[in-house]
Amino acid sequence: MQRVVERILNLLAFLLTVGRPVTAEEIRNTVNGYDQPSDEAFRRTFERDKDLLRRLGVPLHLEHTDAWEVEQGYVVSPDQYALPDPGLTDEERTALWLATRMVRLGGQAPGPGAIFKLGGAPIAAAGDPLTADLGAEAETLAEVFRAVTDRRTLQFEYHDEPRTMRPWGLVHRMGHWYVVGEAAKDKRTFRVDRMSAITVGTKAGAFERPKGFRASEGFPDAPWEAGEADVEVTVRFDAEVAWWARRQLSNAAHVVDAGAGAIDATFPVASPDAFIGWMIGFEDSAEILAPDDLRRRFVEHVGAPG
Amino acid sequence: MTSPRTADRLTRILSMLPWVIANPGTAVDEVCKRFGYERAELLEDLNLVFVCGLPGYGPGDLMDASVDDDEVVIDMADYFARPMRLTAAEALMLLAAGLAVMSSGAAPPALASAVAKLQAVVVPDEGTVEIDLAAEPETLDLFRGAAREGRVIAITYTAIGSGSTTEREIEPWGVFATLGNWYVRGYCRLAQAERVFRIDRIRTAEPTADGFSPPDEPPSPVVRYTPGVDDVTARIRLSPRSAWVADYYPVSVVDETDGSKTIDFSAGDPSVAARLLVRLASTASLEDGDEVAEATRELRERILRRYG
Repeated sequence: MQRVVERILNLLAFLLTVGRPVTAEEIRNTVNGYDQPSDEAFRRTFERDKDLLRRLGVPLHLEHTDAWEVEQGYVVSPDQYALPDPGLTDEERTALWLATRMVRLGGQAPGPGAIFKLGGAPIAAAGDPLTADLGAEAETLAEVFRAVTDRRTLQFEYHDEPRTMRPWGLVHRMGHWYVVGEAAKDKRTFRVDRMSAITVGTKAGAFERPKGFRASEGFPDAPWEAGEADVEVTVRFDAEVAWWARRQLSNAAHVVDAGAGAIDATFPVASPDAFIGWMIGFEDSAEILAPDDLRRRFVEHVGAPG
Repeated sequence: MTSPRTADRLTRILSMLPWVIANPGTAVDEVCKRFGYERAELLEDLNLVFVCGLPGYGPGDLMDASVDDDEVVIDMADYFARPMRLTAAEALMLLAAGLAVMSSGAAPPALASAVAKLQAVVVPDEGTVEIDLAAEPETLDLFRGAAREGRVIAITYTAIGSGSTTEREIEPWGVFATLGNWYVRGYCRLAQAERVFRIDRIRTAEPTADGFSPPDEPPSPVVRYTPGVDDVTARIRLSPRSAWVADYYPVSVVDETDGSKTIDFSAGDPSVAARLLVRLASTASLEDGDEVAEATRELRERILRRYG
């Protein structure tokens, strides 16, 4: 490891100071640590080192070394390399560090690398125990996030269909991550954990983001409020689940007493599928009273052979 | 592939150097505390930096890194005077963690200003990433406070579905949010074991006069369900349309072909798998698991009976 670390520091120091694209050959002849005996051994070592640099977050690019575009060389621009200084105080660094201890994303606590880049944290106190788990799909999310921040288009598959979107923002709501943006000329929302085969566009700044756009704007409160349908439903909740249903219904619900502790709630539903899934959680302690076609659809769904 | 430890070590070195350059004369202990170094580790990294530098690699080309009078000295390293940019994953993690803790209502004031400053450098504007953990149950603060003070709470807990209600005394260790719900975890005196309760299913919660001392290091919470010995397992075949279930629940995938998946789904009670199967309807099928098959049939009949 010692030798790898030394070689990378030498390579990075060289790339940050040389001020022009340099070919692999020049790096081999100039930088300490590339004394591999064969071309093949050098190539392998250099490939590994490039991967490592990119993993660290070093913006390593290829550019033509001359106006005739004969050869390509590697460039690291010092300005792109450097973190724009957010100007954090030690108290703010500590608060951020504690927050990373309390939140899990991608199934595990993140390493301290990000906080180190910001100047480390003089740790004053142990944090509260874990407060939130933001889901497992960290790698996909980081890709989507990169597309959002660099304004790159996103291509992916969703319910087996290819989609292209201009991502404007990310929202975490009720346990899931959503990406919001423009697709097929409409404002659309996709659940990140249902996206697959994601490709991030190569061009940064590929579109304009609406100024002051808030990702959660117009975002539905409950899953059955996301969608295009617009149905008003009335549901009877029996006494043993009424208190729980009440907690989950939004203010848009109109609730009347149905006797013996039961309630009848009337509320809008935009996604019948999500609504049916939610209703099954109540087993036989709740019943769709209206409308008839949704009631029929529910019965068909429950009766479908598994 | 280079080991992740190499990457971590480089990140720490490339973060420590700019900080020391910007804060000359900092004591060894302070640098150690800030970057999580043991003294010997820091000295090892400084020795390593000392032999690196620019081509030529003579005394005038190498960086100067040493300890003088218990202060860390870095010189001739101007090209490393600025810290490295955050990767997309790092920036997202910091931002998400900050926003999530702010959304949980447990944030110190410094966090809000830290997040605002971070947003200014990593996202186009502050509406780019937004986090809303879950609607906060009214009793959240009660449990959070009880965990801090070591106070026993008496609860009535209703299992939705079975409808069974129990009264318990619990020793709360902490609260957390996941998958859109808030949970309290701790020691349940009724079960005489560690338990996790969904807070919105706790019907009543009253502080008692009783106290407890929390474990020094409470085990990391089981946020997602982990199988236990008494579990009922079902083998379920998911069509491409229901394949998301495999990512959503803690299941083991035993086969995967053309977008279809076969999973083993375990839970303490067959009704959990039954509800899932009824919900998935024709997009999934049960391949093996008699208890679950029976529970699913029973659940279907019970619901359909209600709809006459």
